Amino acid sequence: MEKGIIALAAALAIGLTALATAMAQRAIGSAGVGAVAEKPELLGSIIILVAIPETMVILGFAVAAIILMG
Amino acid sequence: MIRKMARIEIVGLKKDLQNTIHELHNLGAMQIDDIRSLSNLLLQPLNLTYEMVQKREKVELINARINGFADLFKKYLVGSVENLEDNSTTEEIGEKVDQVTTIVQQFTQNRTALEEDLITLSKYQEILKLMAPLLPESARKPGNATVGALLHATQTHSMNMLVNQLRTLTQGKFEMAIVKVNGSTNALIGVLPREFVVSVEELLTKEKITQLVLPEEYSLLSASEALEMTTKRIAEDHRELDALEGHFRELANAWGPFLRNWQVTCLNLLDEFEIYSRLGETEFTFTAYGWVPADELQDLKSRLQEKIGEDLVINQLEIPKEMHKKIPVAMENSQSIKPFENLTKMRAIPAYSDIDPSTLMAIFMPLFFGMMVSDVAYGAILFFLTLFLAKKIKTGIFADLIKTIKIGSLWAIGFGFLFGEFMGTMGSSIGLKPVLLDRTASGSAITLLYMTIGVGVVHILLGLILGIANALKHKNKSHLLEKGGMFIGIMGLLVVVGATLKVIPAAGRWGGYALLAAGVIFLGISYGKTGMILGPIEFIGLLGNILSYLRIAALGLASVFLAKVANDMVGMMGNVIAGVLVSILIHSLNIIMAAFSPTIQSLRLQYVEFFRRFYEGGEQGFTPFKKRILDH
Repeated sequence: MEKGIIALAAALAIGLTALATAMAQRAIGSAGVGAVAEKPELLGSIIILVAIPETMVILGFAVAAIILMG
Repeated sequence: MIRKMARIEIVGLKKDLQNTIHELHNLGAMQIDDIRSLSNLLLQPLNLTYEMVQKREKVELINARINGFADLFKKYLVGSVENLEDNSTTEEIGEKVDQVTTIVQQFTQNRTALEEDLITLSKYQEILKLMAPLLPESARKPGNATVGALLHATQTHSMNMLVNQLRTLTQGKFEMAIVKVNGSTNALIGVLPREFVVSVEELLTKEKITQLVLPEEYSLLSASEALEMTTKRIAEDHRELDALEGHFRELANAWGPFLRNWQVTCLNLLDEFEIYSRLGETEFTFTAYGWVPADELQDLKSRLQEKIGEDLVINQLEIPKEMHKKIPVAMENSQSIKPFENLTKMRAIPAYSDIDPSTLMAIFMPLFFGMMVSDVAYGAILFFLTLFLAKKIKTGIFADLIKTIKIGSLWAIGFGFLFGEFMGTMGSSIGLKPVLLDRTASGSAITLLYMTIGVGVVHILLGLILGIANALKHKNKSHLLEKGGMFIGIMGLLVVVGATLKVIPAAGRWGGYALLAAGVIFLGISYGKTGMILGPIEFIGLLGNILSYLRIAALGLASVFLAKVANDMVGMMGNVIAGVLVSILIHSLNIIMAAFSPTIQSLRLQYVEFFRRFYEGGEQGFTPFKKRILDH
């Protein structure tokens, strides 16, 4: 029982943050592609903007790892 | 490295204007400022003389014609065009372009005529095919002639009236057939004695009916003979068109390389005319202002004065404070650093006062890539893949990324040995033992997380040291407090963690807290009135940036576990061949992901976490006035 709850907690930690990251990246990515099509020199800035929300899932991963192994 | 720039002023006599600009163009070392954008100058912008305007228009015209030929010949030219040793003058180029124009005009006229002829013949052919079987026998009788008319389907009523009129006009000696040409058009074919032809044609013209007129040479032929002749003519026209295409190809291959070279010559001349408008003038002199890399100034001076003479004065000017932000930035790095310089520029061209991060990026970006992939086999595969791709893609952002992955794959092999990984978990089966850590072992994930946080701390502290050095160099108090506060805060936090882990004496903990508090206070002061709120928030953001390096561990673990799944599949499938195939598929997917994801993540760590500590980014790169070269 306890193992199941631990696994569920880890899954929620990474799953919810992954969803949040995906939602943010969907919006930034689609706008970014449009911007790059108009101004290719913006590619560097767009990569940064798209990559910023990934911190959420990385932190989710760290929390999940700590829950499972800590 | 960012090159030191010198601001210069060139003053010369107007008689030397064209030679000076031409020589500056050849040297390609100076960026010439537009005098209209400079304030506090008592010079008027240079006006071109009538002869110069005439010459510019002539060159523009030649260039426009060459552009037209370039479009026309594009489909016939195969392979790249090489630079030719052709030093033709504008007049010579103009004459040769005229020659090509004459030939092309002749060919184009022939082609247009043939195409029009084909369209007409196809129409005749279509109608004759329908007519031939329906034409009355009387059409073959001597003294009889054929007339034809095209009628729209809506004119059916008028058609009956027309037939009656024709019968009356020819005293009943009119035989006819009506053929449907297409959905909306009918063709009326009539046979009548030749003496009525003129009056019938007059009637048709009067009634505004489109006549179906066969070419004169068909008028004495029967419909089937005309059809045969039309088919023959269509085939001949196609043959002639093919021959004409061949002539175009020959022409394109004979003149194409010259035209491309002349186009570059024309564009270079037009660039020189464009530059004149950036200069200033007095009654007898001209003046140019601009920028030169400081180490090239002496060479530029001596070469210009050698070519133009002592009348040309070149002065190095003081750079006023308000112009500091406008200094163009020229970067100079070795060939191995160039790809990273381009990646730096993709983020933003550095400001003149910035430290060029290209070399640091050349160290850390492939290193982080290698840490994420960390597999001997994957590294080797990626290395050979990039060797192959580098031959295909030689320029552009993808070429730069390929070079980055090539170096990163060597790091991946190195880290693969440290973690004992070969195609994931197959290392142990070939005798490869982990030197540092087994990433798949239970509990090693936490160690890996600590390791990557350590890497993040070092990388960010390095960025902060550069930021502090930059702030000291430019005597920027606010930046010094900001970067210094962050640095002290992190050092304090490290002391606290050290004391907690008993690496340093427990008493050191209070020193750590003091450093941490001082760091956050300095950081807050740098933000002014809102610092009380922004300081702690920024420091937490900085910790978030350090934790962001966890992605190195996250991606690495994802890669090794996917490889483990691929290897386990072989035994789980029941059938060895199917298992091996599925395993190869998963490994291939993993390698493709290993090429893309770590590159993007590594780039992000540089741009977001590292650059933000010291990199400002500028507005304008150094664009010297130099000659164009043939674009392959």
